[in-house]
Amino acid sequence: MKWVVLTMLLLPFATAVVTLWAGHRSEVATKFLAVSGSLATFGLACVVAFPQLGHADPLVVTYTRTDSISPAIGLAANVDQLSAVMVLLAASVSFLVQLYSVGYLHDDPRYPSYAALVSLFSGSMLTVVVADDLWMLLVGWELMGACSYFLIAHHWELAEARAGAVKAFLMTRLADLGLLFAILLIGERTGSYRISQVTTILSNWDTSLPALLIVIAVIGKSAQFPLHSWLPDAMPGPTPISALIHAATMVAAGVFLVARMYPIFDADALTLLGVVAAITMLVSAFYALVTNDLKRVLAWSTVSQLAYMFGALAVGAWSAAVLHLLAHGAFKALLFLGAGSVVHAVGGRTSMTAMGGLRERIPDTFVTMTVGFGALAGVIPLVGFFSKDAIVHAGFDEAKHHEILDQPVAWVIFGAMVLTAALTVAYSMRAWLRVFFGPVDPDVEVHESPLTMRVPLYLLTAATVFGGLVFADPSRILGERAEEDLFHGSTAILMTALVAAVAGLVVFLWVRYDGADPWPPPVEELQPPEDHIYDLVLVRPIGALARAVVINDRDVVDAYADGAGASARGLGWVLRLAQNGSVQAYLMVVVVGAAAIAVAAGVLS
Amino acid sequence: MNHAYLDALVAAPFATALLVMLVGRRSEGAGVGLAVLGSLVIFGWSIPAVLEDRAVDAVWIESLDVHWHLLLDGISAPLLLLTTLVTLCCQIALVRHAPDCGGRASLAALLMLIESGVIGAFLAVDMVLFFLFFEVALIPMWFVINAWGDQHDPIGRRRAATRFLVFTVLGSALMIVGFLIVKADSGTFDITQVSSASTVAAVLVGIGLAVKTPLWPVHIWLPDAHAKAPTVGSVILAALLLKLGTYGFIRFWLPLVDPADDILPVFAGLAVVGIVYGALACLAQTDLKRLIAYSSVGHMGFVVLAITSYTTIGVQAAVYASVAHGLITGLLFFAAGAIKDRYGTGDLAELKALYGAVPRLAGVLAFAAMASLGLPGLAGFWGEMLAIRSALFAHDALPHDTFVVLSVIAALGVILTSAYFLVMMRTLLQGEPGPRGSSRDASEASQRVETKADLHWLEWAAWSPLLVLTVVLGVAPGLLLDPVATAMTGVLR
Repeated sequence: MKWVVLTMLLLPFATAVVTLWAGHRSEVATKFLAVSGSLATFGLACVVAFPQLGHADPLVVTYTRTDSISPAIGLAANVDQLSAVMVLLAASVSFLVQLYSVGYLHDDPRYPSYAALVSLFSGSMLTVVVADDLWMLLVGWELMGACSYFLIAHHWELAEARAGAVKAFLMTRLADLGLLFAILLIGERTGSYRISQVTTILSNWDTSLPALLIVIAVIGKSAQFPLHSWLPDAMPGPTPISALIHAATMVAAGVFLVARMYPIFDADALTLLGVVAAITMLVSAFYALVTNDLKRVLAWSTVSQLAYMFGALAVGAWSAAVLHLLAHGAFKALLFLGAGSVVHAVGGRTSMTAMGGLRERIPDTFVTMTVGFGALAGVIPLVGFFSKDAIVHAGFDEAKHHEILDQPVAWVIFGAMVLTAALTVAYSMRAWLRVFFGPVDPDVEVHESPLTMRVPLYLLTAATVFGGLVFADPSRILGERAEEDLFHGSTAILMTALVAAVAGLVVFLWVRYDGADPWPPPVEELQPPEDHIYDLVLVRPIGALARAVVINDRDVVDAYADGAGASARGLGWVLRLAQNGSVQAYLMVVVVGAAAIAVAAGVLS
Repeated sequence: MNHAYLDALVAAPFATALLVMLVGRRSEGAGVGLAVLGSLVIFGWSIPAVLEDRAVDAVWIESLDVHWHLLLDGISAPLLLLTTLVTLCCQIALVRHAPDCGGRASLAALLMLIESGVIGAFLAVDMVLFFLFFEVALIPMWFVINAWGDQHDPIGRRRAATRFLVFTVLGSALMIVGFLIVKADSGTFDITQVSSASTVAAVLVGIGLAVKTPLWPVHIWLPDAHAKAPTVGSVILAALLLKLGTYGFIRFWLPLVDPADDILPVFAGLAVVGIVYGALACLAQTDLKRLIAYSSVGHMGFVVLAITSYTTIGVQAAVYASVAHGLITGLLFFAAGAIKDRYGTGDLAELKALYGAVPRLAGVLAFAAMASLGLPGLAGFWGEMLAIRSALFAHDALPHDTFVVLSVIAALGVILTSAYFLVMMRTLLQGEPGPRGSSRDASEASQRVETKADLHWLEWAAWSPLLVLTVVLGVAPGLLLDPVATAMTGVLR
């Protein structure tokens, strides 16, 4: 099994290299390599993951280690229940995205590099989720950032794609410094970089600062407040990439990291995490409600749902958070691939003003996306309902008993959760109605997507519909960390009532305004105000400073040179010599130099 | 055996240089071919260096007590291999790319001469020997920049060459005075036998090496020299000659320094200023080669910061970052040179959308940029990460808080480094195909970004060792960390 894990990790990287090499030599071969490589990775992922589900012991293996620095760094894997489910999520969504992309990018000349980057991306995510060594985790963590940079900039002729890519990379990399310093501190304080060791020897080291630094890292990676604006701006990338980034990799890695390192999180770190999550889930849900662009609506909803998971982790609901991560992985991949199908159908436009009345013209996309929106809103009995229900219940428990957080903080988180649940229903309904109902634009030529795009949609729909079965006995997947009952009848009834009431309200408004947008955005596309602050406080001063440095360097160089020429005769002599350029002159310098050494050595000794 | 092995390492490039020069008079092509062959043999000869430590110690100039003392250990072996490999890559690159002004064989011979000096300097443990080899490497480089540099700007390239020589020779002068003081104090030029030195000596040697590395604020010779040199010259300068400075810091400066003195924090401060300053300078650069040149100032800042932490990990980080910088910046300069060959300019304002025009070349440049900004999984990461780590947990005698602050600033410098490489990629590689700039010169500009021949197989051949090693050292850091750890006796007190 040890080597199966390693093969699973290396296969996507090998696939990337081979795909790139095949390149434009043969289009069919490139597509075949990309899809079959990711299918094989998925197969290996199943072999690795299934034995580790439930009550199995974690598989901890070391491949190599470098002992010449202390603590040692190494290549080591640790597949526990959490890793196993993440491996399955990442490998399955990556495979579906590769399959879908064959149709979606069927005549894109940049397909080879695209497919290679998707393979690289999934390999990086698999590295993150099975890594036992923290440096190995960081390698995967930042490689994902680089892959997302290149993929967001796939359409590099578009200014917003270029800007979005740079923003995504810089914001996440800035936050990644938190992880870098956290790892350094953990290594110094525990004498080990192995996750399996540092999360088990807790009594004798101070975990507070590393945990806070990890929170900073995940704020960037998972696009939480105040670094939340990069994710919506990453939308100019191809839509399948959004599915990959939002559902199974990149942003999911932030939640995974907190879940993985959960034992080191103390009340301080969890309070910070909870407060950030409460702000983020509300703010981004509001943005989702008043955004016109379908993909940006989904992006804001991802930010909001990730905050939900962090909120769950902050109130101690580890298993609910992990299950919501999985559920979200399924339905958000479904929604983004569905959105890709819609965008594909209406000829590449992403604004919802270009859509409307599409339900009869793209029926497969309509059915599958309806399930996706339903799961996002929390409609019984879809998977999103169960996971959200478990989180809200845990939030309420913590608010009542405040075992981890201060009571006011816990109440704030719980309040944000309920309010966000309501807002989520509202924006899901709004988007669903605007895309599939209402007036049909007869000028738009609409065509249903090819089979390679519809198959992934139906597979993800199945996962979204039947995923709720997991909640019958979560310990069969997550083992002893999910022993408690995650289904609560009273919360379920209240939440369903909430969903029904808000949905009713949206439909009422929709009918009353005669199919017009119930929440028209105040401006065409809202941009978070933080961006202006960053621009004013960071980007512009650094730009000004950079120009000053260049001018200064130029002037200093001239001053040195002038000074040298004018003042020092000796220097002038060397300069003239140099400009003569004759070999004899150099030989003389060397000889004189050697003589000087001889004299000096003699005098001094 | 050891004697022959080490002497041959120094002598073979020198002999090859002479042969290439002789053959080159008859036929330029044959001369370059001989240079490729010679550098390939020397590279092969240098590979067994990793197997065991070797040393040669013979009296050379008895009256001055100068010894022919060469030492090959875990610190010098990686740099030796870097030297022989990069020289080989440069010679291969010369096969395809004939300089406009001719004299290809002479250029190849000069590169072999430089290799001889650089190898000697990396092996020397006698201070005078180090100084002499250092000078041997410098003077041919002056010719390389002066004669084969930027053909569009003869005045500029002469000025750059002269400035390079004046600065480094002045640095050498300070360094040799420092060495003489050490000799006066301890009675030997052999650095392995020096156990302490006066602060004055340490400062003088430090300043001398700071010029060569270079360290802010004596870096100002570097951008011009790198930008005006021919492609192979830039590669050798960045990949090898700068390493003479960092290697000198490790081998000849650390043993002289007392960690309780203030000298280490001062140099650490200069290094960190250089990291930020270099990154800021890059952000506002408009010329590709100058940008890469300034990026070296930042990278060398990390190396010196690691050294000043006065720890084993710091030295490991310094060697790692030196080798990684050699590979990655070599690759960057090769790519920049290839762009300049094709479009006649490296001006970022005139070029754009190279992803579309020359996709493979643009891909290599993007890869090298990612490696240079310290992406984990590639070679550039470990050196800089370990540099930050060594400063965060510096030697006990050093001011702890100062070094923590410096390490945090250095880490922020990593972000600035990312920023300027992303800006470079955005302006150079990405963009709307079609004319750039104002409509007046649109026709001229659009001609410049037209599709050109993509990478030639000889370019792949010259670059691929650097590409492959950048990945290998990125995933297997033990390859470089282990040998350095074994060579640490006598470096730190």
